[in-house]
Amino acid sequence: MALVLYNYDLDENCYKVRLALSMLKLEHETIAVNAFPGREQETPPFLALNPMGTLPILKDGEQTLFGAEAVLAHLARTHDPAGTWLPVEGEAFAAVMQWLFFASGDLSAAGRARANALFGPPGDETALRAAARRAIMAMEDVMVANGFRAREWFADERHTIADVALFPAFALSRDFGVDHDEFPALRKWARRFRAIPGFLTMPGIPDYH
Amino acid sequence: MSLAPGWHPVALSGSIDPGTSAGTHLDGREYVVWRDNSGVAHVWEDRCPHRGMKLSFGFVRGDHIACLYHGWQYDTAGRCRYIPAHPDLDVPATITVPVFATVETCGMIWTTTDAAPNRAAPPADPGEAMAVTTLYADIGPLAFLDAVRALPPQPFIPGDPEPQLSQIDGALWRLTAGGDVLLLGMQRLNDVRSALHVVIAGSASTYAGAGQSHVFAWTRALRHRLATVPAKSEATHAEAV
Ligand code: FES
Repeated sequence: MALVLYNYDLDENCYKVRLALSMLKLEHETIAVNAFPGREQETPPFLALNPMGTLPILKDGEQTLFGAEAVLAHLARTHDPAGTWLPVEGEAFAAVMQWLFFASGDLSAAGRARANALFGPPGDETALRAAARRAIMAMEDVMVANGFRAREWFADERHTIADVALFPAFALSRDFGVDHDEFPALRKWARRFRAIPGFLTMPGIPDYH
Repeated sequence: MSLAPGWHPVALSGSIDPGTSAGTHLDGREYVVWRDNSGVAHVWEDRCPHRGMKLSFGFVRGDHIACLYHGWQYDTAGRCRYIPAHPDLDVPATITVPVFATVETCGMIWTTTDAAPNRAAPPADPGEAMAVTTLYADIGPLAFLDAVRALPPQPFIPGDPEPQLSQIDGALWRLTAGGDVLLLGMQRLNDVRSALHVVIAGSASTYAGAGQSHVFAWTRALRHRLATVPAKSEATHAEAV
């Protein structure tokens, strides 16, 4: 099989890739990695695939990729014939890029805050939660403004991999103590996201639709 | 201790879609605001009688709200109607969630804990209302209103330049700026945090899109001011009264 995902079920970055594989309906093999408590991704066989020792890792034939956002871009570019998940024309391409970098940059505080809360690695929980909250507030502001021009998604008229990269941090934010009460525009966006064909949940995201 | 008398806004109407729920606070107490599939809004205590799970974490099925934890379902009167672990059980009528009077007016969902006989009428509806946003801040209602006075919006529709802020109900304020009329619903979440629900009293043909963006930009400027300019404490206000 051409596509192989090295996966840990509780990792929200792996979840981004699982979402994309499912929404793009791509056949793939999943290899479970004992990230917690085993930290298997930091052992030599995995370091040979990703020297940073992080997940997810995707193999596509001869190519090996790490970093969820790069994997999303690769899957959309090579496995979405319609080209809607990663539009390359007009303003949408740069908008998708902006949100992918945001997801792996500013918003990554959410992933670290959650890892801190669930698995207890060292880190300043208060500062991480504040940084994550600030990034989520920025997302709320943008979706409120988008609503005034009847735009339902982050980067384009249609959903893209930007929405896939942004969804887990918000959907899992209760894990690190940021609830959804004050983010009505994101609640509505998350509800639309859940309705995309191929949507799947992960532990911490209830399945009630 | 019960809530301050009168009607309190708990959400913008447009923030709660049919079939969804959200948690909120009034005076430090937890409430769930939810809308059934027929579009009727409900405000309840945010606590499942079974094991105390927040009902706002649950989900709406038709005209029932179901608890996320063990799936107990409550009808629109707050009465438990279905317990998945005992599907054939005729659920005792005593298992209920406290429900509160709920109305929608001025583009917001309102509730009160006042008993029916001495309950005041809710604020009158102005007709067309365009929702803008809810602004949250770690500040009391009086300091929030001070900030509004200190940084009034620039008018979208030109008119009388002098902004006017007047209280038209316990928790409802009317702010005129130029040709615009804004309705501000003040929600005291707890001792340290409040929410300001911002609605334009005007028509979609005038305000949809650009007008809403204009007022939204003002709320962002207000938020910035609240974050950077120290507020007078509520205690200072109380002494001044
Ligand atoms: S706590 Fe709500 S059903 Fe058990």
